Amino acid sequence: MIILVMLSVFQIAGAQKVVTKSGHIWFYSHTPLEEIEAHNRQVVSIIDETTGEISFMLLVKSFEFKRALMQVHFNENYMESDKYPKSTFKGKITNLDKIDFKKDGIYPAEVSGDLTVHNVTKPFAYKGTIEIKGGVVSAKAKFTTTPREFNITIPAVVENKIAKEIQVTVEATYASN
Amino acid sequence: MSKKLRYVVIFLVLAIIAAGFAWWYTFRETDRSVASYKTDVTIDAASLLQAFESNEDSANIVFREKIILVTGTVGSITQDTTGYSVYLKENDAISGIICRFDRPAFNPELATVGSSISIKGLCNGYLMDVVLDKCSIPDMP
Repeated sequence: MIILVMLSVFQIAGAQKVVTKSGHIWFYSHTPLEEIEAHNRQVVSIIDETTGEISFMLLVKSFEFKRALMQVHFNENYMESDKYPKSTFKGKITNLDKIDFKKDGIYPAEVSGDLTVHNVTKPFAYKGTIEIKGGVVSAKAKFTTTPREFNITIPAVVENKIAKEIQVTVEATYASN
Repeated sequence: MSKKLRYVVIFLVLAIIAAGFAWWYTFRETDRSVASYKTDVTIDAASLLQAFESNEDSANIVFREKIILVTGTVGSITQDTTGYSVYLKENDAISGIICRFDRPAFNPELATVGSSISIKGLCNGYLMDVVLDKCSIPDMP
């Protein structure tokens, strides 16, 4: 009996945080000269349903490009991923009162926090959605950013091949921890 | 005259080879699995995890960008639109090795939850787990 009570308490306590280790973040750069797309499917993300804390963590080297040379340039020249191997976001869902993690639905989520890319940390706010379906939490967001914001210099030779604004999409399906 | 012509032909052939190489170098596609790569390090899952948990920086120097052949117990297998993730994890552990497979590189029949497996992959570092990308399951002798 005691074990049963302990188990259920433990489960309730455990249900407050949801985690994924295979979140998907991809970015897209479009110019008339070149289409560039890269996917990272090894993104770690945690949402604390009680406090609204949300975090994302990824290894820059896990971004996969179609062309090998692009991936080399991305890691060596732009992101310097040997020096700065990780990108992170740590923030909070600011409209947590409007999201019911116990009830199925698609909820607009407002998130703000700090985004760290290329060792540069910037305050960052975006709007995404949180979907609850059969108790499973998933999160989606789409935003644009610029290489310049994170001190990434694009050399003049390839300036026309890399978009000024990079579209970033985030998709994560969580499991309770 | 014919000697001059021969030089021209040699020059053209070399130019075509150089152009072909430049073309290949610029546009070659990323390998989707490390199946054909030489293994750099052979290790068991627990030791690999232990190395990263005790000192991430020194483990990065030893294992990152290396082709690792890791043996461990399959904790879970998840599938998404382009591939699979095999999570090597011992029962009581909180972390493990997360191995990403592109769909053509994975055969679900070769991996069952709870059984032991050897996976070859490119180590890209450590988040909450050790991350291996472009994985493949080598043929066992």
